[in-house]
Amino acid sequence: MRQALHIFKKDVRHLWLEIAVALAAVAAFTWMGARQAPWSGAPREMAWGLGTFPLPLAWWILIARVIHSEALPGDRQFWLTRPYAWKSLLGAKALSILVFVNLPMLVADAVIIRAHGFSLLAELPGFLWSQVLLTAVFVLPMAALSAVTTGFVQLLLTCVVLALALWVCNMVAPGLSIGATWVALDWVKSYCAGVVTTIAALAILTWQYARRRTAATRSLAAAAGILVVLGTGLIPWTAAFSIQSRLSKQPVDQSAVHVGFDWGKKWAARALIGRDGNVWIHLPLQITGIPDGMETRFDGLVVTIQAPGGAVWRADREPRSYVGSTGQLLALQTTVDGSFYRKVKDQPVKLRGALYLTLYGNRRTASVPFQDRSVPVPGVGMCSAHRGADAQTYFFRCSSAFRWQPDLVLIYVAAKDNWGGTSYSPLHAISYSPFPADLSISPVGVYGRFGYATFREPASPVTVSTMEPLTHMARDFEISGLRLGDFEARLTPLPR
Amino acid sequence: MSDILRTIDLSKRFRNTVALDHMNMAVPEGSVYGLVGPNGAGKTTTIKLLMNLHQPTAGRAEVFGHDSRRISPQDFAQIGYVSENQEMPEWMTVGYLMAYLKPFYPTWDAARAAELLRQFDLPLDRKLRHLSHGMRMKAALASSLAHRPRLIVLDEPFTGLDALVRDELIEGVLESADSATIPISSNDLSEIESFTSHIGYLDHGRLQFSEEMTSLTERFREIEITLRSPSPSPAPWPATWLNPQQSPAVVRFVDSQFEQDRTVAEVRRLFPDAQQISVNPMPLRAIFVTLAKAGRKAA
Repeated sequence: MRQALHIFKKDVRHLWLEIAVALAAVAAFTWMGARQAPWSGAPREMAWGLGTFPLPLAWWILIARVIHSEALPGDRQFWLTRPYAWKSLLGAKALSILVFVNLPMLVADAVIIRAHGFSLLAELPGFLWSQVLLTAVFVLPMAALSAVTTGFVQLLLTCVVLALALWVCNMVAPGLSIGATWVALDWVKSYCAGVVTTIAALAILTWQYARRRTAATRSLAAAAGILVVLGTGLIPWTAAFSIQSRLSKQPVDQSAVHVGFDWGKKWAARALIGRDGNVWIHLPLQITGIPDGMETRFDGLVVTIQAPGGAVWRADREPRSYVGSTGQLLALQTTVDGSFYRKVKDQPVKLRGALYLTLYGNRRTASVPFQDRSVPVPGVGMCSAHRGADAQTYFFRCSSAFRWQPDLVLIYVAAKDNWGGTSYSPLHAISYSPFPADLSISPVGVYGRFGYATFREPASPVTVSTMEPLTHMARDFEISGLRLGDFEARLTPLPR
Repeated sequence: MSDILRTIDLSKRFRNTVALDHMNMAVPEGSVYGLVGPNGAGKTTTIKLLMNLHQPTAGRAEVFGHDSRRISPQDFAQIGYVSENQEMPEWMTVGYLMAYLKPFYPTWDAARAAELLRQFDLPLDRKLRHLSHGMRMKAALASSLAHRPRLIVLDEPFTGLDALVRDELIEGVLESADSATIPISSNDLSEIESFTSHIGYLDHGRLQFSEEMTSLTERFREIEITLRSPSPSPAPWPATWLNPQQSPAVVRFVDSQFEQDRTVAEVRRLFPDAQQISVNPMPLRAIFVTLAKAGRKAA
């Protein structure tokens, strides 16, 4: 410990400029974040957005310089033949990062969260988890990359090569990207990538500091990179949903839930023949047995179409592409190969599949008065409503701490003259992540920020109702006796 | 006398290049061991393997009886290492370098440190990056001797230094020689000849010999034979007679296993027409050149 402190003091003396820059970046970020009051305008928000950019850059440089002060690859560094204990050296580096990256960010988070009206105690899990994410997804990988490079130039080149490789990978095989494609289930993919990255980074750091095996640790880093890109890209959506199902908050008797063809809406069924010969199938589905007080959200659907002669068509894309819901209409939507369709269209076919859905419940309602301060709304965060200067616009905005809330949110603004009102949902994606924080530099996520023009002055207050996801389930279904040809329609070109 | 450094069938390969080939070497405690050989012979590789800066491809090296791959901070606390191509923390001043290193060494001798700084005339407030190469080497040596190490490892420490700085460094090292073992690598024999007690000769990654200086200088002699009349070279030529040169009346060679009676008898047997046999002792540098030439010829 004494040696670790001694090395730490040396690093502080050596890297005072990098430390000062990193602390200044955090201070600027905190100042802008705290000043971004809930009812402030877009320019200040943009300034905050720009203000977040230097922060990871300053951290990146600081972490690299801290590690490279005692560079591990190579055979010429003076410290290699001095009595350094590897645990002390690693401890000193960890201490530097903890003191000058994690701790200032913890303070910054606290100041910003408080400025936005959140309770520090209530947001404690988010505080701690955001530090875990910062460490696991940014600090450790950056430290590991620094530990296998000789200096900043080599690290920069490595990062450029990695970014290029990722870009090429995304261009060649977009499906393998780690990016946001699963919406509510994206967190599964992100956490798989995060876990692999964290384990690899910890292994690299421990191995490299204990044994200095640069070639081996570089190979490990490359293997981990490939695993993150390919491995997470190859995780089946159904596996992610299965994980999600195990995390359901409330068990529901699934045997009561049934999925079938909605005969009452048969008129909405279509087999639309496209100009390319392929056929777009749209079949209304009915779901029954949902417990009272619950609402459903459809996450995905897998389906197989079987003809009596043995011909089979199977969806080979992600299940979530095959379900659509508009208002009360839930429909199986898919494009079937034209030759298959022609072969089976006059035969009764059997559709087999599984519907993936989430049940929402525990409806809560809160009122947000038009005033210059925000109020807590359970399931959302802090919300505020205020009128524009022209008295014909109003703004409604909610902020949540550390993560997007998973709840379904419905906002209702009643008109003063009781001629009706406006309902809308905030424009943010729902995440089913069970963790109290998302990976983001900013501790406050702002959503539902609307400048809404109206000719009637809105009445006070705004009503916000929320429902939380309680259970995630997959229901198998089988529909027999449908003849796709009965629903056939053709695309007719519009007259010129 | 126990061996403080040992290599056992130590081999190192860099891709397709064999840098060290089954090297067996022992450095006795208290010795000043000169590891010599031409450029690329494997001297620096040997030292880097001993200091765990490289990993052996095969075999092993031992320092204080421990496997060099497991060399511990406690071991390093008893070692002073100076290398010509060592990267020093150039942002540090000389004074801060010494102050920074002090807590790492339980045996750090502040008085000795001050004495070394004075002896080497090192400016305490000057950053290492602002020092000349010679001054940097002095700073490196001062920081490696102040803890009175049991083992002082010097890898080509005098390369690129002027004579004055070299003498100062040698003086500094020799002041520690009484209590320390000093392996030193060099390709300039004249600079280490005066103070080495043992010598190891390395060529093409192979240790050709390793022995005490006195026995080495005893067994190498330049022999000059004056012949009464021209005579052909004997066949086969003795393997221990190196670099033969022959003119009609004179034959010269270096005997690498010289023993007065045996060598003279052998000369008389092979050159019955010998009129005069002249035996000359050789400086280390001449021995080194002879061995290098012989090695190149054999290769």
